[in-house]
Amino acid sequence: MYGGDEVSAIVIDLGSHTCKAGYAGEDAPKAVFPSVVGCIDQMDVGDDKENNDSETNNNNDDSNKPKDKRKLYVGSQALGFRRDHTEVVSPLKDGVVVDWDIVDNIWDHAFKDCLLIDPKEHPMLLAEPSSNTQQQREKTAELMFEKYKVPALFLAKNAVLTSFASGRATSVVIDSGGGSTMVAPVHDGYVLQKAVSASPIGGEFLTDCLMKSLESKGIVIKPRYTFKRKEIQPGVFQTVDVDLPHTTESYKLYSQRVIASDIKECVCRAPDTPYDESSYSNIPMTSYELPDGQTIEIGADRFKIPDILFNPSLAQE
Amino acid sequence: MDAKDILGLPKTPLSITQEKKSRPQKDSQRKPDGISREVYALTGGVAPLMPSIDVSQLKRRPPSDEKITWQWLPFTSSARKDNLQLYHWARDYSFAKYNKSVDVIRYTDEEYEKHLTDPKWTKEETDQLFDLCERFDLRFIIIADRFPTPRTVEELKDRYYSVSRTILVARAPSPGEVAGHPLVKEPYNVTQEIERKRALSMVLSQTKHQERKDAEVLAEAKRIAESRMAARAAEEPDLPIASDIGPESAERAVGPGDTISPSNVQVPAPAAAPSTSLRVYLRTYALEQMVQAASSSAGLRTIKRVEQTLQDLEVNLKPKVPTKAVCAEHLELRKEILTLLNLQKQLQYKEAEGSSFRDGSYGDMPGSAKRSQRAADQDRTFVLDTISFGVIPGDRGVKREQKRKGPGRASETSSSPAGAHKRPRKMKASDL
Repeated sequence: MYGGDEVSAIVIDLGSHTCKAGYAGEDAPKAVFPSVVGCIDQMDVGDDKENNDSETNNNNDDSNKPKDKRKLYVGSQALGFRRDHTEVVSPLKDGVVVDWDIVDNIWDHAFKDCLLIDPKEHPMLLAEPSSNTQQQREKTAELMFEKYKVPALFLAKNAVLTSFASGRATSVVIDSGGGSTMVAPVHDGYVLQKAVSASPIGGEFLTDCLMKSLESKGIVIKPRYTFKRKEIQPGVFQTVDVDLPHTTESYKLYSQRVIASDIKECVCRAPDTPYDESSYSNIPMTSYELPDGQTIEIGADRFKIPDILFNPSLAQE
Repeated sequence: MDAKDILGLPKTPLSITQEKKSRPQKDSQRKPDGISREVYALTGGVAPLMPSIDVSQLKRRPPSDEKITWQWLPFTSSARKDNLQLYHWARDYSFAKYNKSVDVIRYTDEEYEKHLTDPKWTKEETDQLFDLCERFDLRFIIIADRFPTPRTVEELKDRYYSVSRTILVARAPSPGEVAGHPLVKEPYNVTQEIERKRALSMVLSQTKHQERKDAEVLAEAKRIAESRMAARAAEEPDLPIASDIGPESAERAVGPGDTISPSNVQVPAPAAAPSTSLRVYLRTYALEQMVQAASSSAGLRTIKRVEQTLQDLEVNLKPKVPTKAVCAEHLELRKEILTLLNLQKQLQYKEAEGSSFRDGSYGDMPGSAKRSQRAADQDRTFVLDTISFGVIPGDRGVKREQKRKGPGRASETSSSPAGAHKRPRKMKASDL
């Protein structure tokens, strides 16, 4: 199906939830990993040691600090390993890149660790949001050409790529992702800019709603690093809590979100008809086992959470 | 001493059977083209019962319509330690043929001052418009989307086409030269376009209720038209059978409505036939009438025989596609068959008479008094003066013609006088 010159291009799509990277012509990306990074701020000048009492929030000021003072951990494996004082940071804010250093690290991880390629040898195809600004595009091109020295670069809009992938030059593309839902009409291969609309409701929002709902029911989601499970007898486990005071709030939240995300993906289902309390009050509960061994029952939330996509007012209840 | 010797039979009977054996063997050994011997042997050396894939099709490659160009390009080999650069033929980039763009006419500033100023458009806007036109290859919907100031698609198109037209005419040495250019021949009509799009969107946004109402109105209109046509047909029972009867031109039956307005009944232009009033009718109905009229003077049995002949010739009794030409031919065919049957009948009579005469008196030349008046004979249906017997002086000729009984040969085309058939004869069933 992949016709034409085999120039072995690389395709990268940096979304708000995950980054996808792979080789052009293949069916699926080779590298899919979270697009948030773990960041340890090293306050001491010239010192690589982690600072024990630093609780500094990572925000836009990072770009002013010297880059080598900050250690970034990219990828689900690196991120999954708990380290003291690691803040979980996203390079994007409202879909727009604010921290180019993190983006740089993410691309580096994708090229060097996941795809195992040298960017100098491969033309790049980058997927960008349908409402990307000129300034963002320029910065992307600058970074790609100057740092990675790519031979060729093409920035394509997400909606256009989706449309072409389904074999159409003209279509309306609804992209419901992690950070937002975007609707963009594509006509003859070009996005009609004035008609693009976005909603901040996406997968992450649903995960947050689920977490709040579980908390209100008294269910505590324990992040994986907070306990150890010992097998005292065959088949019987005992959970021992581990106290790690230097773990940051953002890391805790991130770990909880991972678990809640899994619950959402396993258990939730969009209802066939609009959700209302009365019809779903008596449905049978589904059970889910949390990593710490706790089993929870989820009932109406199964259908209420996904329906937020169609009826955002449900989130307020 | 052998019994065979005594009998005189050949000593080696195997020679005959050998021949027989070798022949069937050879047949199976010979394999069809397109597949190899071993593959064929897998099937047991016998052709499959059902042909699955046409083997000759397999090796054939789809014919390539596109022009494949080759370029003489340099290349280096990684196997060589020196930098030897050799040349070889390399195939053209197969997607290059898709890289087409539109020639957008660009005007100079003086030309703008002279011809193109417009109260509703600034020079800057016009420049921006032309830049976008070139960038997006005249995709006006996208141009409208990217245009800095809000303008409708029709406005942009209007400005672009009128500017291009003006420039074209201004640059042309004489107006005659560009008269053939599509931009000049068919100018962009803004109001018409707006109206057309409005009508289209109205159709698209019709509710189901509206569609049903429209369908009802159309059905009603059709009913009225048909009843009107039936009334007319009743008024005129004898359609003239003259040879120039060809059904009236320019009429169209009211079919299921395909436009919104119910007023799509066409006014037929009257043809040579005298019954010309404004009416619409179904051609099949008219054909029936004419067939009836043509065979009204023939008996029921004759009609049956005509239909039988039609069926034997594998012609539908009612033409499947009743266009003007087809109906006329059908009618013609019917008439010819009628003529043939009549002739055959006459021949039978005459032969019977002739044989009875022969029995009675010898010397008489049969049919001497019988010739010539055939055409104008009292035979019933022969109002048709189109069929004449190709008058050849002498009985012999006539007799010969009558005797010639080939399948469906009514009259010889070559010998019929000019004007007997009003139209050039096309392939008729009788020509088989």
